[in-house]
Amino acid sequence: MLRNWVHIFFYNIKNSKFFTLLNLIGLSIGITGLVFAILYWNDEHSYNAWNSQKEKVFEVINGMNENTEWHTSVAPLGPEIINSTDKVASYCYLNDWYFSENVYYNDKKELVENILNAQASFFEYFPFEFVEGNSETALGDNTIAISETTAKRLFGNEKALNKIVRYSGNDMVVKGVYRILGKSSIRPDMVTNKIEQSLKNNADSWGNYNFGLLIKLNDPKDKESVIKTIDDIYYRKKIVPVSKELGLSPEEFIEKYGEFYVKLQALKDVRLGSIDSGLPEGQGNPQFLIIMLGLSILILVLSIVNYVNLATANAIKRAKEVGVRKIIGASKGNIICQFLFETAILSVFAIALAMVLVELVLPYYNDFLKKELVIQGGLIYSQLITIFILLVVIAGIFPGIYVANFETLKVLRGNFGRSKSGVWLRNGMLIMQFAIAAFFIVGSYIVYEQVKFMSEKDLGFNGDQVVEIRLRRINTKVFDRYTTVKNELLKIDGVKEVSTGVFGFGEGARSTSGFDYKDQSIQGQNMGVDYGLLEMLDVPVIEGRDISPDFASDTISSMLVNETVVRMMKEPEPIGKEIKWNGTNLKIIGVVKDFNLFGLTEEIPPMVFFHIKTISWMQSNLDKVYVKIDADKMEQTLADIETFWNKDVDIEYAFEYEFINKKYARTYEEYVDQRNLFSILNIVVISIALFGLFALASYSIERRMKEIAIRKTLGASTKDLLVTLSKQYLVFCIIGFLMTIFPVYYLLSTWLDNFVFRISISVLPFIIGFIVLALLTLIVVLGRAYKATRVDVLTYLKYE
Amino acid sequence: MIEINQLSKVFRTEEVETKALNNVSLTIKEGEFVTVMGPSGSGKSTLLNIIGLLDSASAGSYNLLGNEMVGLKERGRAKIRKQQIGFVFQNFNLIDELSVYDNIELPMVYNGVAASERAKRVEEMAERLGISHRLKHYPQQLSGGQQQRVAVARALINEPKIILADEPTGNLDSKNGNEVMELLTDLHANGATILMVTHSDYDASFSQKTILMKDGMILSEKQQNKNIDIVVNS
Repeated sequence: MLRNWVHIFFYNIKNSKFFTLLNLIGLSIGITGLVFAILYWNDEHSYNAWNSQKEKVFEVINGMNENTEWHTSVAPLGPEIINSTDKVASYCYLNDWYFSENVYYNDKKELVENILNAQASFFEYFPFEFVEGNSETALGDNTIAISETTAKRLFGNEKALNKIVRYSGNDMVVKGVYRILGKSSIRPDMVTNKIEQSLKNNADSWGNYNFGLLIKLNDPKDKESVIKTIDDIYYRKKIVPVSKELGLSPEEFIEKYGEFYVKLQALKDVRLGSIDSGLPEGQGNPQFLIIMLGLSILILVLSIVNYVNLATANAIKRAKEVGVRKIIGASKGNIICQFLFETAILSVFAIALAMVLVELVLPYYNDFLKKELVIQGGLIYSQLITIFILLVVIAGIFPGIYVANFETLKVLRGNFGRSKSGVWLRNGMLIMQFAIAAFFIVGSYIVYEQVKFMSEKDLGFNGDQVVEIRLRRINTKVFDRYTTVKNELLKIDGVKEVSTGVFGFGEGARSTSGFDYKDQSIQGQNMGVDYGLLEMLDVPVIEGRDISPDFASDTISSMLVNETVVRMMKEPEPIGKEIKWNGTNLKIIGVVKDFNLFGLTEEIPPMVFFHIKTISWMQSNLDKVYVKIDADKMEQTLADIETFWNKDVDIEYAFEYEFINKKYARTYEEYVDQRNLFSILNIVVISIALFGLFALASYSIERRMKEIAIRKTLGASTKDLLVTLSKQYLVFCIIGFLMTIFPVYYLLSTWLDNFVFRISISVLPFIIGFIVLALLTLIVVLGRAYKATRVDVLTYLKYE
Repeated sequence: MIEINQLSKVFRTEEVETKALNNVSLTIKEGEFVTVMGPSGSGKSTLLNIIGLLDSASAGSYNLLGNEMVGLKERGRAKIRKQQIGFVFQNFNLIDELSVYDNIELPMVYNGVAASERAKRVEEMAERLGISHRLKHYPQQLSGGQQQRVAVARALINEPKIILADEPTGNLDSKNGNEVMELLTDLHANGATILMVTHSDYDASFSQKTILMKDGMILSEKQQNKNIDIVVNS
């Protein structure tokens, strides 16, 4: 029987090579998309999967008020938790960012990018495998643990244990070499223990949120009760004393400032969880992951629909074969099996082709996702088998059942070729395809519009020709060093202006501080700047004046605020008002026009501006120099600056600079990528849908050839015929389009909600989408129909 | 009405060249009822198709109502088909997806007749052919004879100058066949010009003139049972 089936299968393929090929390609593309989505999915879900502690370890997130959550905690919290409950086994403080510094071994200098500063218990939380040394003794005063890769870079093939390296001015002994076992939310190249000193210094400070904190629960089920314990601690240790200081009762304090609260997120959920995590490897983008998966499933559905449509349309041609099979004793089940079998053969080919496509496209895909996905491991293969089975069942069962239910006698009597049976199924699917295609066209247009809006939006500052140069700190007199560098830079030909600020575009200020004005409490970005920065960036001061070297008070007691602060202060005349800022009295001398500091997904924050020297500790945040360069001399000037820099400013580290416009553009880079992806998928989807339309129109028109011949005989002109033949497809197109309006509107609105600065969905994408879809439909259908009207009517009048 | 002069039709395939019509000349006057007879492959259907503008000649001239048809473009042919010619086929050639009413109405749609006028004319025609009660049915629900009546109704609805019938009784039993022939005779009696291809001597006996064809040539023309020998061109 199998041989018979195979024979028939290849006979049919031979007779419709073109459609079989297109079907195969369509299915392969659909599977390719799904495989890509699954690879991405697997990768994101493999984060911390290796970590035996992932259920028990929790990241502590602190809610300061309704809108502000910090990933960092205060130093005394950990010990206090252990004192207050026996449900928490231990805690581990760590810096939730990486240092990137040079490490020296003998004459060798290596820039180690990801240096983590953590307490010794870190390796209980991230139990990396130790190749040398062991996790208990690795971290202590002046000892470090390094990753296998780092060890290789520093020592080659030599043993790393007990080697002494120089790091940050100290000799450090390597006491452990570890191997990271899989995707991890923290993947340090090197771990130091320097945090202990800062913890000691802050042991009683309940206001300095400087440290990342992980806690380990004995039983993850106790999460809620531990949260309660920490909330109580905050009440006892923060709200009670602070409110007393302010002369308020704790209740009044909470009423006015809100309550401190805590959130715990298990390590297993950190990567894709709903709570913002501060762990240095960052979080995945669950929304994008779902979009990818959803779209790839849509594409696969589309190609399956094509397959089913073609198979049922083709089945009419095969009705006789099925009729004969039934007469000689085939059961319905038997016939369904035959179709499943045919689908299975085609699916095997499609999957094979898809894997080839995946291999070819994977490098680009990795570029796009900034990942290093590979096809390996049992997981992806078992998923492929699942796809195969689903494909065979879904794509094979419809045509199978459809054909198996043909009425044998009707079929053999021969009248079946023009039967309407199955037309509704096919038309329904066609409408669905139109709907999906319309969704993609309209959706990608809206995405395109939003990205265009972002790239063209007036950000409130002008970063043209302004570069940001990284200034590494070598001692505490940062501002003096900056001043020297500035004066030297200004001597270079092509350098127009030099200034600095302790913030980054798209990143925000290095620190934020809260202050009160009357009844309003404002958490402002601390925009410590040097003279001339606002002018360099074309940020206007709309009221009062900018800071200036002409006023001695401008490095002592002057501040500017942005419009957002003024709005929050509810003060109609802000100029001249005094504000108590972290114990210093500052007078507002100017109002700065609002500009976008963060990406367009976020509101413009309240910002306070003052000269860096005004606040003594502000210069410790100074880590960059802004330089405006003459556009005509850009290349030469940058080269000159680099030469100067490497010779006189920093001989240890490479010269690093970036145009601030480019840096800002990174805040929406992700969405540019999404737009590009959407455009590519758009082409794929439209191609598959049009192929489906073409195939279906071909079959349908073929079935109607006699009708066309009759109409022609009766004097129908070509135009009449084209209208007759294409009318229904245009109707399906319209129905499909109408079906898609609401889902597109809803889903794209949800997507646009990511942005504070967003377009509103206008009617334009819908009009354009409809025109494009209708035009493509007409081109395909009219092309096919026109060919049909050219044929010799006699062939069909006589021999049918 | 129809003047055909030295008309030839050649079918070419890669190997062979077949002359389906070989210098045929023929005149049909207004109001005539002409039958074309001959064995299979004698070219009679080809002749009918060329006259019906469904096929084109390879050489010669074909004049319909004073206009030359050879070389006419498809657009012009479609226009003449819908205005001047009514077709009746052996296998009826009704559109199964359309109701009887819609089938009959179709030629008027292509002729741009107003909807109200169309409805009136379909009713009248159905009445005349005795198929009024079948208007809402679909072709597959009718007997062969009824289907052929629908086909005749459709052929007549535009009041064409000429009716072309290709073996109209070929798929019918003798009773239904008779009815159709009587219908055609009636039409003829009312002044219609009819050209009919048939195998049946009996059917041919209804007509005024019978043309006998063989091998793409006209062998003889027989006028009301009276033989007229014509010169055979070679």
